[in-house]
Amino acid sequence: MNSVTVELWLWLGRELKEDFESLSEMRSARKEVVEEGTNIGQLLNHLANRYDPFRQEIFDIREKRLHPQVVLTYNDRVISPHDLYEQVLKEGDKITIMPLYTGG
Amino acid sequence: MNIGGYVGKILRVDLSSSKSSVEELGPSFIEKWVGGVGFGAKYLYDEVSPGVGWSDPENRLIWTSGPLAGSGVYGAATFNVISKGPMTNLAGSSQANGFFGAYLKFSGFDGILFQGKAPSLVYLWIRDGRAEIRDARFLAGKDVWETEDALRKEMEVKERDVSIYAIGPAGEKEVLYSAIVGDRGHLAAHNGLGAIMGSKNLKAVVVYRGKRNFEIKDPERLKERNEVLFEVAKVSGPIYQWGSGGGFSAVYGMGGLPVRNYTTNLYPEHERMNGQYMRTHFEIRPVPCYMCRMAHVKEVTVTEGPYKGFVAEEPEYELLSAWGPQIGNTDLGAVVMLSHEVDRLGIDCNESSWVIGWVMECYEKGVFSRKDLDGLDMKWGNVEAVKVMLGKIARKEGIGDLLSQGVMRASQRIGGEAADWAVHTLKGCTPRGHDHRGGRWPELFDTCLTNTSTLESTWGPVQPQVVDLPPIIDPFSHEEVSTFNAKFNGIRQFDDCLGTCRFASPDPKLVVACVNAVTGWDLSLEDAFTIGRRVINQLRVFNFSHGMKKEDERPSKRYGSIPVDGPAMGKNIMEKWEAMVENYYSLMGWDPKSGKPLPETLKKLGLEDLIKDL
Repeated sequence: MNSVTVELWLWLGRELKEDFESLSEMRSARKEVVEEGTNIGQLLNHLANRYDPFRQEIFDIREKRLHPQVVLTYNDRVISPHDLYEQVLKEGDKITIMPLYTGG
Repeated sequence: MNIGGYVGKILRVDLSSSKSSVEELGPSFIEKWVGGVGFGAKYLYDEVSPGVGWSDPENRLIWTSGPLAGSGVYGAATFNVISKGPMTNLAGSSQANGFFGAYLKFSGFDGILFQGKAPSLVYLWIRDGRAEIRDARFLAGKDVWETEDALRKEMEVKERDVSIYAIGPAGEKEVLYSAIVGDRGHLAAHNGLGAIMGSKNLKAVVVYRGKRNFEIKDPERLKERNEVLFEVAKVSGPIYQWGSGGGFSAVYGMGGLPVRNYTTNLYPEHERMNGQYMRTHFEIRPVPCYMCRMAHVKEVTVTEGPYKGFVAEEPEYELLSAWGPQIGNTDLGAVVMLSHEVDRLGIDCNESSWVIGWVMECYEKGVFSRKDLDGLDMKWGNVEAVKVMLGKIARKEGIGDLLSQGVMRASQRIGGEAADWAVHTLKGCTPRGHDHRGGRWPELFDTCLTNTSTLESTWGPVQPQVVDLPPIIDPFSHEEVSTFNAKFNGIRQFDDCLGTCRFASPDPKLVVACVNAVTGWDLSLEDAFTIGRRVINQLRVFNFSHGMKKEDERPSKRYGSIPVDGPAMGKNIMEKWEAMVENYYSLMGWDPKSGKPLPETLKKLGLEDLIKDL
């Protein structure tokens, strides 16, 4: 089993305050323990099944992919959504999920 | 005028002879070009010949409103300015919000076309269909806020009785990246449109509030669609709650903040520099644009740090990135101070921040000594030195004379390695306030291939899903980015025909419905794309006629470099640049090798007259 941190930024964390620990005014996180060999896509699918807001704003469980207005980093590096099911999680890994910002 | 939303008149102002005349707009012209950048692109093409320089009296400066401005669509008071601009010597199109786009129509005109050059400094006064060219010598040297104050005093009007757009000292001195600034902090900033005003001795334009003088064809339908549009806009990102700065940290998280002139992507202070921090720590008052319920424009009072008590307009995202990470500053109050300063002087914040960041890098690496910089200690984060330097640029004093040419020209003059550190496109325009190498590849690609000298197809990322196309999955896929930039291209130029604000009108299908309710037309989304693509191709043929080279459709060495750290470390857009360009050209209906529009593409868009010009 591996312990992994899932961090949500900005408004993506607003509906999940009870389950994610507040790190700052715009960041919240929780630890997830996953089985050996679990990849990022499987973890996201698991979280989307558990939390309605996660399913609505972050991960599409029917298409098995991230919603288009979301960006994901793996250990602080942006990762291609095409690689979600390739990247196997290790002990101490961090995935960060943030909104894709348009305009500005 | 049988089409709703239009006055049906353009004011032509010949500054050389101090005469103005009114020209009627025919229905076929309106249907083909719609307004805003559409009207501008057509007039620019027809009236500015190849060989005319940006500062020649023969150049045109075209201000146009659109059918939605003043129609009651929330926040719709935008106007478009287009000309042959100094940064690229090609077409430049830029928009500003506030009140002007609505008031111009209420004063009797859908647009103003300036030509010639006034013998001395003048301003244009418009009210109830009348126009007067008035002496502006008493405004010489005043910044844009002082200019607004002086004109209101002279006319004895209250703040919102008139809309005023003007140039500051930078425009008067023809600094190449001068902006047109008005309504207390709104700007048409890109490609030096303010310098063109300066070259024509035109200091300001004043329009009165007036009354709506055009028909709305289906008011009930407009009201209903407008309400839905507002509800959609409210939940489209952070703008409603946090302003455009609400996305600052999201941009950082994907490696998209410009930090110290693209030398790093690490900026851990971002949480104290974003819109959320500003709106929960500074005092905020709304100063919305005309009939805007989104009301994201605010005034702030700084409540902490060295600039405590400073009152100014709230910096938008572009200003936060310009005067925060790009210059190595971590004090949010200083961002408010510098943002206000650059607006007052009438300079584009994007270009000026690329210039200042480049100067700071050159200073750090010993290319510039303190003596070279007129004694200024231009180390990263020295905001007071930046303030002084901006003033020097605006007045072309000392080192400011070189820097007033923009980062491409200044860096080429200095040469050597320093020329490789400048962020720009080879056409001469510069990006908005992001590090596009990080998750903003669509915008990097767009900035290099645009025909407007700023964004053309994108709005940051593209959003294919809002026009029922499948979404981009991988923002770092060369093929996906070039394909979707082409597929999405058109709808944003349609927006810029309308006189509306994208923050308040983020849903293209609802926007088209509003256009139909106002005008009485029956446009489809596909029609909207066609109109936008017509504008793009018109400008593209203009640009080729005026010397644009295909080889210049690429980033400078630094702009296209590989991030050395941060979330996008190692991502390399240049790895397949040529393939991206070729794919994009093909999908746009352009020759894949030369980039020129194909005859069949022009025919399909009703532009067969342009074929001979290629």
